[in-house]
Amino acid sequence: MSITLDQLTKRYQGVPVVNDVSLEIGDGEFFVLLGPSGSGKSTLLRAIAGLSGLDHGRIALHGRDVTHVSARRRGVGLVFQNYALFRHMTVGENIEFALRVRRVRAAQRRRRRQELLRLVALEGMDERLPAQLSGGQQQRVAVARALAHEPQVLLLDEPFGALDAKIREGLRRTIREVQRELGITTILVTHDQEEAFAMGDRIGVMNCGRLLESGTPQDLYTRPTTRFVATFLGAANLILARQGSDGPRWGARPAVHGPGACGAREREVVAVVRPEEIEIARSSETLACSNFLGRGVVEEVLFTGALERARIRLDEQPDAPILAHANGDGAVLIETTRPQFEQRAFAISRGQSVTIGVRRAHVLPTPLSSFTICAPNSSAAERLAGNSLLLDLSSRMKTRIRKHLEPMLGASTPSRDSTAALPGTAVIGARAGVASDAKWLLEHGVEEILILPEHAPAPQRVLIHWTDESARSATLAASASVLRHLAAEAIYIDVLPEQTSTAERSFGIRALLDARSEARAAHGLEIRTELRFGVAAQALEQRLSESPGHMLIVGVASTSQLTSELAALLAMARWPVLLVHRERGAPAHSRSAA
Amino acid sequence: MTAAGAAPGSLQELAGRPGRATVLSALGRRCLIGLSVAFLAALLLAPLAVVFASAFHSGVQKYLQTFADPDTQAAIRLTLLTALVVVPVNTVFGLAAAWAIAKFEFRGKTLLVTLIDLPVAISPVISGMLFVLLFGMRGWFGAWLAANGVSIIFATPGIMIATLFVTSPYVARELIPLMQQLGDDEEEAAITLGAGAWMTFFRVTLPKIRWGLLYGVILCNARAMGEFGAVSVVSGHIRGLTNTMPLAIEALYNDYDFTGAFAVASLLTLLALATLALKALVERTGDRQP
Repeated sequence: MSITLDQLTKRYQGVPVVNDVSLEIGDGEFFVLLGPSGSGKSTLLRAIAGLSGLDHGRIALHGRDVTHVSARRRGVGLVFQNYALFRHMTVGENIEFALRVRRVRAAQRRRRRQELLRLVALEGMDERLPAQLSGGQQQRVAVARALAHEPQVLLLDEPFGALDAKIREGLRRTIREVQRELGITTILVTHDQEEAFAMGDRIGVMNCGRLLESGTPQDLYTRPTTRFVATFLGAANLILARQGSDGPRWGARPAVHGPGACGAREREVVAVVRPEEIEIARSSETLACSNFLGRGVVEEVLFTGALERARIRLDEQPDAPILAHANGDGAVLIETTRPQFEQRAFAISRGQSVTIGVRRAHVLPTPLSSFTICAPNSSAAERLAGNSLLLDLSSRMKTRIRKHLEPMLGASTPSRDSTAALPGTAVIGARAGVASDAKWLLEHGVEEILILPEHAPAPQRVLIHWTDESARSATLAASASVLRHLAAEAIYIDVLPEQTSTAERSFGIRALLDARSEARAAHGLEIRTELRFGVAAQALEQRLSESPGHMLIVGVASTSQLTSELAALLAMARWPVLLVHRERGAPAHSRSAA
Repeated sequence: MTAAGAAPGSLQELAGRPGRATVLSALGRRCLIGLSVAFLAALLLAPLAVVFASAFHSGVQKYLQTFADPDTQAAIRLTLLTALVVVPVNTVFGLAAAWAIAKFEFRGKTLLVTLIDLPVAISPVISGMLFVLLFGMRGWFGAWLAANGVSIIFATPGIMIATLFVTSPYVARELIPLMQQLGDDEEEAAITLGAGAWMTFFRVTLPKIRWGLLYGVILCNARAMGEFGAVSVVSGHIRGLTNTMPLAIEALYNDYDFTGAFAVASLLTLLALATLALKALVERTGDRQP
């Protein structure tokens, strides 16, 4: 491996800007770090270059641990967004700088300079000053300068940011050619997904300081596992579908028939439908693909040359599919793109009523699809709807918040009617009897419950715990889903009884390591682990009280645990709590892509 | 048309005639330029002419005689010596302070920025008094200094310290905004290319800020040679020993030796003009070379 990053964390005023990032990049690989501004990608790159320190973690370049090696001895080449050429030196002097530092002989320096100028197609420009060059030429000089000392690794920090489109494309090609010719391992940081697709062998997508997913451009585009990647890499319609035994369904109708979804209960899932996977037809009879999504009215048609982009408003019908990213009563618009030949086959115009079909949908493996506020009266529901953590989560997850009034909430007699299970994650307010509210909801088929206190600071640390091993996978999946949308650190806490023998202790430590490796392997989530002794609820409470800004995610296997062991902890109501419930022995939900 | 409608109507008409606005602005420009030139002539050029006219009033012979006087020669030497010591010290201080303020975040940074401006803000006479209070016979360190045979007040060290104080902001003030604007990308690039701290400073930072630095040094030098107030308080006016050029001019003037006073004044003025010319040259070169 050329570059190995192990659990890198960098905090700024207590908030992690790079959060537990682990990554391996192979020899000669071109890796693109993609993310919106403020996602921590540049900080990560600067940490690899040695220009900014780390709070935690290790960096190895070609097997050599460089975590504590200064930037000048790391042997990396770094290219900056604004070139950072030495403005008082000529092009030749700029390129020779690294060699001059290393006291290389003049003749040899000149040879290397010629070689590099040929590589970046700037022969004969030796005597110019940077100010006499265009932006694209300056960046070529910067690349040549960064390569002069034959670094093991080339790091490019938004190198095309300040250039216009035409020059950008030429320079992209040059850099890719140079990289291939030298076989140098390269990391490029960018916020432009088109650039990432054009250049990367692999892409890693960052948000809120976390590396969410990494993979080949094709994999990330067709099979994203997080909604951020699904919507950041290209356009996507996120549709709330119901996944039962026969595959996902839109609204009330069965939809794409995918391989084995065998959960006992039908549950809500998020399906990604790319605009180009949407088919528009006059009626459902003329639909070429069999998957009818719904009917709608064309709201907007844009001609963009090769493609036609249209936005279609879905008809409001009880069985209409529900879009995830439209809150409340907002517009329900489906985005589509069609190539020329489809436009010729069936031309559409504004105001026309059309039928929409889906050629291909991909179901995200996230267990948190949408939020449903569950409150005994409307004023309590309104209070919850204004909760800042809930609003943050729903807007970052691009999902909707529904309200459901339930006067029977917390009643001791469970009603028989469990078919009307609430969709998505239930949200309830914290109060003294919250444990019985939660129990009631779990008995009514809800699997995830978010308990929100009235006022709580934005979580900086999320503590994860499960009372039973059978709830482990579900709790980790839910934790990963939450943590992708919060700039918080994850800590798994295992609690062993006070009088644990040494042999049992080592078993406990193994459980910690298992949890960590499962989180990393299945969800790409880096978690830290802590082992505590005593009674679980008390140990958790003690840990939660150590500092403000905590959130708790706890997995349970039986509803009775809520009113017995965890009742006191839940009644405290000082932290947001996410309850995850999986019945012991219940089959795991298959979430394979359709 | 009603009376109420007339005013906006005529305004519209005025706005609709582009030629008129241009004529007005050309007239305004000439007036402003004329005013500025007249002001400059009255306040700067006329006194300058007077200085040289008075200096040569009694002939070149008398003019040159002034510089043969050993006391005057001592004053010139002292002024040059002071500048020679003060300017390099303040250059190093200015560089260090500007570097610290532009590149690092630390507690008390705002306080430091304010303190750097202090010598400009307070009256030079008060600056001089401060040092008398510190190092004078009845000052905090006066007794100790006297016991150890070190004289600061009414001696060359006092003059240098006072000048150092008064001229300390110039280099730093010039460099802080410049260094903040230029950022440290070039330095970071140099470090990743393998350069050490000294090499980065001398090969990258210093060339990058050289014009700003030179400008600051020139301003600092001009003030160091011309400082009167603070130096006057601490020098004690001992002829041939602690008189600088500005003090010598005052002394000659008080002796009714007008020709002598203006002769020394003309030399100081020439030095100032040379400094200004150098500054203009630096600005032009600096503009042409980024």
